[in-house]
Amino acid sequence: MNRTILIAEQSEIIRKGLVQITGNLNLFDNIHEISCSSKLKTSLTRLEPDVLVINPALIDPEMQQWLAGYRDRKNGSGTFDTDDSNEDGDNHENTGQKEIKPGYFRIAAIIHTLIDDELKGLFDEVIQVGDTGLKIKGKINSMLSRPASPGSPVQDDTLSSREKDVVRLLAKGLSNKEISEELFISPHTVITHRKNITRKLNIKSVAGLIVYAIINGIVNVDELHDDKNINK
Amino acid sequence: MNMAGLIITGEMKLSDIVDGDKRALVLFPRFGIELGFGDRSVEDICKKLGIDLQFFLLMVNTFLNPDYFPDKQLKRVDVDMLIGYLVEAHNYYLEERIPYLQSLINNFKNRVDHPAVMQLEKFFDQYIDEVRDHLAYEDETAFPYMERISAYGKSRLPLERIDYSVDVFEERHDNIQEKLSDLKNLLVKYFPPAGDRYLRIRLLNELIDFEEDLINHARIEDKVLIPVVRQLEKQVR
Repeated sequence: MNRTILIAEQSEIIRKGLVQITGNLNLFDNIHEISCSSKLKTSLTRLEPDVLVINPALIDPEMQQWLAGYRDRKNGSGTFDTDDSNEDGDNHENTGQKEIKPGYFRIAAIIHTLIDDELKGLFDEVIQVGDTGLKIKGKINSMLSRPASPGSPVQDDTLSSREKDVVRLLAKGLSNKEISEELFISPHTVITHRKNITRKLNIKSVAGLIVYAIINGIVNVDELHDDKNINK
Repeated sequence: MNMAGLIITGEMKLSDIVDGDKRALVLFPRFGIELGFGDRSVEDICKKLGIDLQFFLLMVNTFLNPDYFPDKQLKRVDVDMLIGYLVEAHNYYLEERIPYLQSLINNFKNRVDHPAVMQLEKFFDQYIDEVRDHLAYEDETAFPYMERISAYGKSRLPLERIDYSVDVFEERHDNIQEKLSDLKNLLVKYFPPAGDRYLRIRLLNELIDFEEDLINHARIEDKVLIPVVRQLEKQVR
């Protein structure tokens, strides 16, 4: 697979370091680097990288909006915002008119200062300047294997219908193994679902999930198996 | 007065400590300190009530400051004193904090008409049972063992067979505040609006305070009790 990564970072030490580290990962066929935000839009539309690693300091509010729009278009969600591109009409860098092929696009932040809370939703991953090469590899790998999450990935906490199935069966008192048999999925997949459910809802205990399930009509009170299960 | 990161010392006024961090309030009864202490300093009060000043400071600082690392003071900590403090804290949870929380949950249940509210109460009741079990285990199994070890260290009284160790305590020392965080999330994010307004806010405030109290309490057990007892064990074995 032909993969491209773009690294946007002012500091030469950090930029070259990232080029070196990502080069050793054997994940990317093309590694590009830029050192200032003025080239960002043209580079993105020309190279169409799979991954952008960027220093948040390079992202002003206008760029934040543009990047979010670019990502949504790239990942096949969101619509083209023509008003926005008209506003940029005089700017020779306006790339809104160019057709962008839908495909794979993830953004990671490279952090060596504090990160603005408002910006966090833009990133699929955050790389710290103190991270080891191994850790960076793990982060990029997990980013590449994650399904596209349209819009702001950190705020999406609605359960998929499969995850709701898992919650319903948990509330009825079934074990992971029983759930896997009931839903014809592997026990490993059940565990993955449970991890995602906990992450999305920020509810760790089964007892808490049962309350959530009743509140949201995923399960009826009389379907609950037995009181014993609440404490699991 | 902002006390963030500030170390409490003997010269400080008790009232300034409270001004800086209201969480210090729950500590006073555990040492027999009653409010109405005027402008007295920590040192004054400790002298008057016969409290070991260094021990008081160690407890207050560890409780209020997650980054406080009481490395040097650990050598001279008296285990019996420490257990006395922890038992007082447990009594406060059992006799004061938990009944109050239960009454708030009860009010909430009576006011809110929603099928999930019964389940919420059940969740809470079972959680309270877990907390009681956790505290009872420490009071009845872990602490008596630690007192026996301490008595041996002090007077060389014959030591009965050693059937326990601080490693077991550490391993079993799971966090009991996790479910509180679930309950908090359910009430903030998921439980539908039910016209309960201030009732839910009062309940949430109490849940959040209790959660924090338990975290701070567990820190004393992890950072002070466990290393101190481990030291004693080395002398005994």
